[in-house]
This record gives sequence, C-alpha cells and structure tokens, in this order.
Amino acid sequence: MPRRTHNQSRKLTWDKQHTRELFIRYKRDEDGGARDELITMYLNLVRYLAHRFRNRGEPIDDLIQVGTIGLIKAIDRFDIERKVEFTTYATPTIIGELKRYFRDKGWAVKVPRRLQELSFKVNQAVDRLTQEKQRSPTVLEIADYLEVTPEDVLEAMETSEAYNFVSLETDRNTDGDDSFSILEYVGQDDQLMAVVDDRATLSAALKHLTPQEQRILYLRFFRGFTQTEIARQLDISQMQVSRLLRKTLRVLRENLVREVLE
Amino acid sequence: MATDRIVLTVPAREEYARTVRMTAVALVGRLGVPIDLVDDVRIAVEEAYVFAVRRKQPGGDVTFTFTVGDGRFTCEVGPLADALETEGTDESGERYAAFILDSVCDEFELAEQPDGMHVRLCKYLA
Repeated sequence: MPRRTHNQSRKLTWDKQHTRELFIRYKRDEDGGARDELITMYLNLVRYLAHRFRNRGEPIDDLIQVGTIGLIKAIDRFDIERKVEFTTYATPTIIGELKRYFRDKGWAVKVPRRLQELSFKVNQAVDRLTQEKQRSPTVLEIADYLEVTPEDVLEAMETSEAYNFVSLETDRNTDGDDSFSILEYVGQDDQLMAVVDDRATLSAALKHLTPQEQRILYLRFFRGFTQTEIARQLDISQMQVSRLLRKTLRVLRENLVREVLE
Repeated sequence: MATDRIVLTVPAREEYARTVRMTAVALVGRLGVPIDLVDDVRIAVEEAYVFAVRRKQPGGDVTFTFTVGDGRFTCEVGPLADALETEGTDESGERYAAFILDSVCDEFELAEQPDGMHVRLCKYLA
C-alpha cells in the first residue's frame, strides 16, 4: 500500500507512534541506540526553535548546539506514562536552555521569575473574568482581581510573548478543520496582495502558519472581529488569540520582508 | 475630558521598541478599556515602529507623540526621512506595516510635512 506523503507545511510533524516505540526501548530496555535515534529525529525541532533566536548575534550553529543540550535533557527526563506529547514537553526545555545561554552571556532575554508567574496568573484571570463578565476585562479589572498594579499586568502581558511557544502538535490537533487557507479569501486587488508582489510569495509565507493561525488572521484583519469574538468563535482564550495574533504577524513579517523588529 | 499629551524621544533602534510599546499600553491601560483594545494599540505601535527605524533622520532619534482623552488614543511618529535610509531595503516592510496599521487602527495616515514624513494613527477607545 502506498504511503501518503506529508505536504511541505508539515515538515515539523513527527511520527508519534515511532516516537513512543523509541521511548519505550530507551526507558524500559535501556537501549542507547533508541536514545540516539530520538536525538536525531528531533534535531529539526531544535533547529526550528534556535532560529527564533537567530537575530541576537550568536552563530546559529552555536544555538543549535545549545538547543540540542536541552533536547537531550528533555529526552532523558521525559516520562512516557504522562499523557503529553514529547514535543509539548521538549519545547520549553529547549527554549529554557537557549534562554539560559543568553542569560549566562549577560544578554537581555531574561525574564524575571516574578513576571513569568504573573504572566501565567494574568492568563487565568483573563479567562475567568471574561466568563464572569461575558466580555473582555479591562486592565484595571485584571489588576484588581490579582491585587497587583495595572503596570504589572501590562508588563506580564508583554512578557508572556517571550513564552509564546505553543506546542506545534497541540496547534494542529485542536484544529478540527485542516483545510482552512486564508489564500482563498485574499482577492487580487486586496491590500494584503499589495504588500507582496505575487501570490506565490504570499502563499509561501502563509505556509509557516497553521490553519488556526490563518483563521485568526482572517477573522481579525479581513472580517474585523475583535479578539474576544475570535476567542469565542474558536473556543480558545482571548490571551491565546492575542499571542497567536502577534506570533502570526511576526512570522508573516519575517517571511514577507527581510527585516525583523524585535 | 481633557486630552493629555505625552512625548517620548528615543534613538530609532530596535531595542527601544519595547519601551515605546510599554509606554503606549500603559497610557491606554489606565483608561479602563477592554484588553482587546489595549492589544490593538500594542500591535499598532509595534508596526509604527517599523517606519521609525527605517526612516530615521540624521541623528537617529525619533519622537513619538501620544495623546489620550476624548475617547481616543493617537500616536504620531515623526518627523521621519522621506526616503528609506538604508540601501537595499525594499519597501515591502513598510507596505506590510501599513496593511496592519490600516486594519488595526481607526485612522491611519502617512503625512508629508515640511520637516519630513509623519505617521499618524488613531484608535477609538469608546
């Protein structure tokens, strides 16, 4: 029976079944070969994540090396009994390793622990308050709820951006309808088309986005939905919309134009 | 309600983007508007920064003038150089930024003035 080939936009998808088998061989049978194979298999994830830090003045090879240390740690610590995908588990570990590398060099990717925790709490507060009030809460309401200052809330929101490495797997799985492509909605005389010279360029740039991200982009910029409306429609939190939106804009910019704004 | 004016001049370099963004969201955050809107302001100012960095004037500083009040947030960036400063950079970055600004803001314009180009954007907060 012929195997179905994955299309190009899915080159970051890994074979879950094979991953699981390898982990069982490594963890139960202490098979070092399986560990090596896992490392090789997930080097692409390291490369992908390392590229996010490429504009900070360090050679990409060094970043990949640092990221690989994170990957190995993740492989060694991963518990196969846990109901979590390996990519979900490994991504923060790899990013943590990269961030630590920059921090050790005294560079400014550091995010104070206090803010990391607050960012998490803000997330939860927005969800809760949105439900309670049936509308998007204000900064002041969030601040009151968490008993912090509005500036703390804003800073935490800004910070959460740095931790916006939503699992690639989850992104795909939570999206029921894989077929959505914003390209279908972009007209020939559209403003977005005016940005890029031809459809092929746009199409290539959009390949870097998941269907869910494309849908968010479409709802926000083509239909003029607010973030809260999008959140309701896609059944995700408003903070998730906010982060995905910013990530989407950045990814698009990186792929449509050469310069990148941090 | 009176309109307050806040002026911020920074070196037009990427590392100050966050400072400018944080200032803008802090101004809007005080006003008790939904965080959707706060986030739009964040995105808008980030995109406006693209112009600031790419069209800096000799000396390399850029001034952001924010006003808040009367149910509006405005941001003016300028004066900026009329032409792109860096050799070899194409215009797609600005066209992309303009597309986003146009979608995110209620008003957006690029205005040519005697002292240079100005980016103006406005977000209704009511």
